[in-house]
Amino acid sequence: MPWVSTAARLVLAGVFITAGVLKAANPQDSVATVRAYELLPGSLATIVGWGLPFAEIALGLLLAVGLFTRAVAVGTVVLLAVFLAGIASAAVRGLSIDCGCFGRGGALPPGQAHYGRELLRDVGLALLAAWLIWRPTCLLCLDRWHREDIA
Amino acid sequence: MTNSKRARELARQQAELAARQRERRIFLLVSIAVVVAIIGGGIGFQAWRTHRAPVVASTPGTTAAPVQVTAGRPLRLGADGAPVTITLYEDFHCPHCASFEEEFGPTITAAQDKGTAAIELYPMAFIDDGSYAAANAMACAAEAGFGRAYYLGLFANHTLAWNDDQLIALAGKVTADPGAAFRTCVARKAHKDWVDSINAAADADKVAKTPTMLVDSQPVDIATLTLEALQSMIDKAATS
Repeated sequence: MPWVSTAARLVLAGVFITAGVLKAANPQDSVATVRAYELLPGSLATIVGWGLPFAEIALGLLLAVGLFTRAVAVGTVVLLAVFLAGIASAAVRGLSIDCGCFGRGGALPPGQAHYGRELLRDVGLALLAAWLIWRPTCLLCLDRWHREDIA
Repeated sequence: MTNSKRARELARQQAELAARQRERRIFLLVSIAVVVAIIGGGIGFQAWRTHRAPVVASTPGTTAAPVQVTAGRPLRLGADGAPVTITLYEDFHCPHCASFEEEFGPTITAAQDKGTAAIELYPMAFIDDGSYAAANAMACAAEAGFGRAYYLGLFANHTLAWNDDQLIALAGKVTADPGAAFRTCVARKAHKDWVDSINAAADADKVAKTPTMLVDSQPVDIATLTLEALQSMIDKAATS
């Protein structure tokens, strides 16, 4: 099964690096996206808006090279759980926003939000990350060079 | 002596394990350092990008007369006799407004330059303090007679945070001499109440999102709008 893990890792890496780069391109949009969730106070929203895209890029890079895959996969699940909670809370509170997962988030006309689709995608990604926690061993991983518990 | 052979083998394995653990520790430290550097550097980079000075914006050919700032009324940017009125509700920090301007701005600017269309601008402020400051400064600029150029400059630099220094610096980029009155107007938020009245007016007009556009009072669906459709809309409105 090592190829399944490799595929899961590379898919996650691609998604996170893409999402991070698209969001990092415009810091003002990114901060506006965070604010649209109405969950964080102003200055914290600014720091998250600036830093989160780079955290995603860093996570994606670690996944891409396959370093500390199990620990990184745990971090990925935690991050996705935060995203899921944010989107779900926006839906529950009746906000109409775009999740901004790949940049350009913010307010949408009432009824035009696609929370179901966004939640489903993040659940799918979380399942891939969960697989990596279960089976972190894989091909083309830097881990392979220095971990002894390789199957 | 099998015993000593075994002991040597054991020692070799232990040394190998220790080496591997050391290697793992180094990898771990380097990874953590790289992650911290990427995130910290990223935050620093974005702080710089949002707080640097505005860049030069293209200036429209015509200089407009000073615009009257009236409570609850939009800023009219363009020739007085322009037959077509394009009403825009925008927040200078709304992501979709920036992409709208990028795509359709040049067409609208061209119509303004030709004297075909004038913009009636409702600069709303609901995203952050920067939106508010920018909306206020927009009114100050319109009042000082360089509203059109300033409007384009605000969107050309939409990644900026819009503190007072940046708003004043932008005026210096789009007009030769913004004047002391403009600087005071920005620093004192002279049109604060007007910005509030614009937000209230947009609410009263049931504006649910930005950007919202009307051509001669007819709502336009921006989501499906094409450049050709906008152009023919303007042309048709101009001849009717």
